[in-house]
Amino acid sequence: MKRLPFRGDVLSRIAMFVLGIMVLASLLPLVVTSLDPTETVGPRLSSPSGEWWFGTDNLGRSILARVLEGIRTTLLISLAAVIVSTILAIIIAIVATLSRGVVDQLVVRAADIFFAFPAVLLAILVSTIVGSGSQAAILAIIFITLPLMVRAIRAASLGVADRDFITSSWVGGASTVRLAVVHILPNIAGVVVVQATYAASIAMLTEGALSFLGFGVQAPTASLGSLVQEGNLYLTIAPWFTLIPGAVLALAILSVNLLGDGLRDRLDPRAARSLT
Amino acid sequence: MSLARFLVVRLAGAIVTLLVVSMVVFAAIHNVPGGYEDVVLGPLATPELRAQTAEKYGLDQPIPVQYVKWLSAVVHGDLGTSMTSKTSVSSELARRIPATLELVLLALAFSLLAGVPLGIAAGLSSDSRFSRATSRLAGSLTMSIPDFVLGATLVYLFSVNSWWLRVGSYVGITEDLVGNIRSMVLPAFTLGLFGVAVIMRTQRDAIRGVLTQTFITAAVARGDAPRTIIRRNVIRNSSIPLVTIVAVLIGAFISGSVIVESLFSIPGIGVFFLNSVRNRDYAVVQAAVLLSATVFVVANMVADALYAVLDPRVGSTSAARGQK
Repeated sequence: MKRLPFRGDVLSRIAMFVLGIMVLASLLPLVVTSLDPTETVGPRLSSPSGEWWFGTDNLGRSILARVLEGIRTTLLISLAAVIVSTILAIIIAIVATLSRGVVDQLVVRAADIFFAFPAVLLAILVSTIVGSGSQAAILAIIFITLPLMVRAIRAASLGVADRDFITSSWVGGASTVRLAVVHILPNIAGVVVVQATYAASIAMLTEGALSFLGFGVQAPTASLGSLVQEGNLYLTIAPWFTLIPGAVLALAILSVNLLGDGLRDRLDPRAARSLT
Repeated sequence: MSLARFLVVRLAGAIVTLLVVSMVVFAAIHNVPGGYEDVVLGPLATPELRAQTAEKYGLDQPIPVQYVKWLSAVVHGDLGTSMTSKTSVSSELARRIPATLELVLLALAFSLLAGVPLGIAAGLSSDSRFSRATSRLAGSLTMSIPDFVLGATLVYLFSVNSWWLRVGSYVGITEDLVGNIRSMVLPAFTLGLFGVAVIMRTQRDAIRGVLTQTFITAAVARGDAPRTIIRRNVIRNSSIPLVTIVAVLIGAFISGSVIVESLFSIPGIGVFFLNSVRNRDYAVVQAAVLLSATVFVVANMVADALYAVLDPRVGSTSAARGQK
């Protein structure tokens, strides 16, 4: 226990702990059969009690079980989208830095254009084209986070590309691929990790917003956003139905953001947060 | 590069951006499965009837042709006809703009009025570990609560309790000012809370940055009173980054207004956009997206111009700033 990460940074440690608990809890329904999110376990819309910790929904299903499923869905969607978006952003940013000139300008302009779309509008458009569902949410998150990540990673790799060791290895005959993978990538890894963490928080917000508006994850699958939307119909008679998944979502996003700040302080101390 | 030339280049860039945005939206919306004919005529329509409808609205022509027609109409101020209400899109938008505009401006005012003083206080306060952790937690918390969760919580609290503020009963500003305020405070708070955190962070970091500058050291060495230094040197110089962040926030608020308007039943552009997407009302969707993108791009351009005016160094380094 002596080498826990984030020494002297209590908030980041708590955030890591909370996220760990959430991930483990979201896996519980896979092993504990009584936490089946599709099974009717009691009366409709009953309030939280010893028997149903988070109450029951409009079909008498346990909200606890559905929230756990929701955490899993939201985290998986966000993770998938952020992985794709990070890999694409690294490739685009490094190619742009190494080729400079026209390609670089095109990348910058394209990022500007996607940036000009208000995020929620862009997400809704994507979802109407590919059809509502998890894929729509993943694709929308990629469209929203990619320009932000390309900008940040490109700025970082431009800073590295001008340094002397890059020039000397280029003079020494290193291939472009070698320059990118061996010399630039390790030097921007910190920025990439930090930006990917922030992108994950944007991903969860986007998934939530899209599902809340009915363009994301569709019933019977539950995500934290779709649970907030389902519960919103019963807001005044069964507030827990909306407020519990909402609070869990906010807590998850908060933890990811705190973790991002902690990582930034460790890995990229000079940078201000660029993803807002 | 001179200031004038810098602005012209930015303007050209903005126009190109908007053109491409409009093309992307046009192409996208016309590739949506379940076209307008399906939505209006239902699944049982005969092929002849569908063809007739498509012809009536020009949907049978190739997409590039439709785009050019649409664009030349837009340039002449004609945004087309809403296919669901059969009235002109511009009049439909004009009717809804005031509500959205008011919402976004109120949210912006709230962000600035709360964020700037908090940021100044945080930037000037002693850097103890406790105060750093508290402000970090508060900042992250306000950034992390999704607007629809915050909004739903407020809707719940204010609908089960009869506190003075209202939810879900929008009153226009011209009808009844007090009623309008009662119905707009909560939506503006919901939309603006995230902005408070963003502004606070920006202001705090800017103040910290300015404090390390040599002209502050010089002012201290001259023996200026701390109050004077803070007012004249620190605050004035640290307000420049705010200009850029306000433009970014306007974009974020337009985006968030879709959610806040539907939560609080405000008849603005956001709700109109949502319904039009569901109805496949092409003309409206295009116009709404283009309108939002234009506002965002113009806001950024104004920010760039202001930035160049406020900070004389920008004139020569602006090209580099645009690229970095």
